[in-house]
Amino acid sequence: MSLFLPKLTCKKDIDEVIKGVAEKVVVLRFGRDEDSVCLQLDEILSKSAHDLSNMASIYIVDVDKAPVYTRYFDISYIPSTVFFFNGQHMKVDYGSPDHTKFVGSFKTKQDFMDLIEVIYRGAMRGKMIVQSPIDPRNITKYDLLYHGI
Amino acid sequence: MGAHYCAICRQTTFDGKGHIFGKSHQSRLRVVLHKFIEKVKEARRTLKKPQVEKYDSTQHDQKFWCYCCELEVQRHVTDNNMTVLCGGLIEHMATAEHRKNTHKFWWDNKADPKLRDKVIITEEETERFKSEVSNALETFVEVEDNYIEQQAEFIRRQEKHRQDVLQSLLEHESEAELTNGPNGTNVSAEDPVRFQPEGSDQQQTSRFVDSMAGAPGPASGMNLTFIGFQDPSNRGNVHTGAVPPWLQDDDPLEGSSGGTAPPEIGPSLQDFLKQKEREKLKKLPPNRVGANFDHTSQTDANWLPSFGRVWNSGRRWQSRHQYRQEEDHDNRAKRKSDHSAEASKRVKKTRNYDIT
Repeated sequence: MSLFLPKLTCKKDIDEVIKGVAEKVVVLRFGRDEDSVCLQLDEILSKSAHDLSNMASIYIVDVDKAPVYTRYFDISYIPSTVFFFNGQHMKVDYGSPDHTKFVGSFKTKQDFMDLIEVIYRGAMRGKMIVQSPIDPRNITKYDLLYHGI
Repeated sequence: MGAHYCAICRQTTFDGKGHIFGKSHQSRLRVVLHKFIEKVKEARRTLKKPQVEKYDSTQHDQKFWCYCCELEVQRHVTDNNMTVLCGGLIEHMATAEHRKNTHKFWWDNKADPKLRDKVIITEEETERFKSEVSNALETFVEVEDNYIEQQAEFIRRQEKHRQDVLQSLLEHESEAELTNGPNGTNVSAEDPVRFQPEGSDQQQTSRFVDSMAGAPGPASGMNLTFIGFQDPSNRGNVHTGAVPPWLQDDDPLEGSSGGTAPPEIGPSLQDFLKQKEREKLKKLPPNRVGANFDHTSQTDANWLPSFGRVWNSGRRWQSRHQYRQEEDHDNRAKRKSDHSAEASKRVKKTRNYDIT
């Protein structure tokens, strides 16, 4: 958890953020504050928040506080980061099975900033799915389990 | 032979006397003499009738160059009050020295002897001139005195007229006050009444003096319209140094609105900031994601953002739809399990394997 990133604790807050932020990428980190990987990710997020302030707004969400979104976004691994632009969900192809969210932490701050820039540019051009600029070796590998088969 | 400077050609020649007979010298000489004789002619015209004029410093201090004597001479005679035109010229021409010089000049330059006499003025002529001059002076002085007399008369008349008008007004005022006096019953009221005419008197006189000073004269006052006395007593006017009206707060406005702030012109701060935002938005590309997304729309509690799910193909709203269905189903299943003792049915979900 970062002392500097704003936290969202209920569905209503998250709704307001998604609907309210205009012309900027909305970054929602889903996770728990005590988790070690979450801590790493939070550090990267807070360090780059100021530099990206014109392109993105970053928020922290606790998965236990908003179960609706945890189910809706299908969050099974934490931390998971979901991106929105103007109320629209942005998908990114990282080379991993799940395009709807970014699972795990970033290796460097620069990776995160590159990703945000690519998402922003793609959104400005009208693209709802973009290609991630991060090296696939730096992305956490995970298995996508399907519940119910 | 030697170096000889010819004053007329303004050249140094080595020819000696030969130069004088040359063409250029003679032509220059002719020109010079022509100009000189013109001046003398003008002076001769005034011989018979000398003109005396009031001294004019721009014109009457002129000098002229006498070629024969090679010196500058005063043209007019003046005593800083009046001048005799061309008097100086005539006097100079009459002197014996000038005659000697003229002869010399003619001989040296071999000029036309017929013209020589024109440049000299004889003694008889000068005598005549002087007597004429004295006469002319006298007449001039007389004329001047007359003029001054006329001016004085005019000024005196104007002053008298002013005094008359003042008197007539005073009498009028005192009459009015006298008629009011007997009508008022109080004897003690006479004192304030008496003071009043004095006070109004002062006002009236001051006003009249002002108006008199303003009007240029009785004759020109006829074609001006009189618009009444401007009473500056409570506000003051430009002469007393009062505050000009455009720097004063408007009394009627303040009275009616009762202390509210003056109406502001232009948009309020909020509108202005919003306008700036809108202008920024216009610059963004129009085909960006969510360009027509209404950020301020009111939604109910179970609004969900557009989210494309992992396993879905097809449109994104379908994932929301599907999610709601599942939630609904789960809720109903939960309620059913609460109600019935049996185990809940296994919910079968069909999903596609394409990644959208």
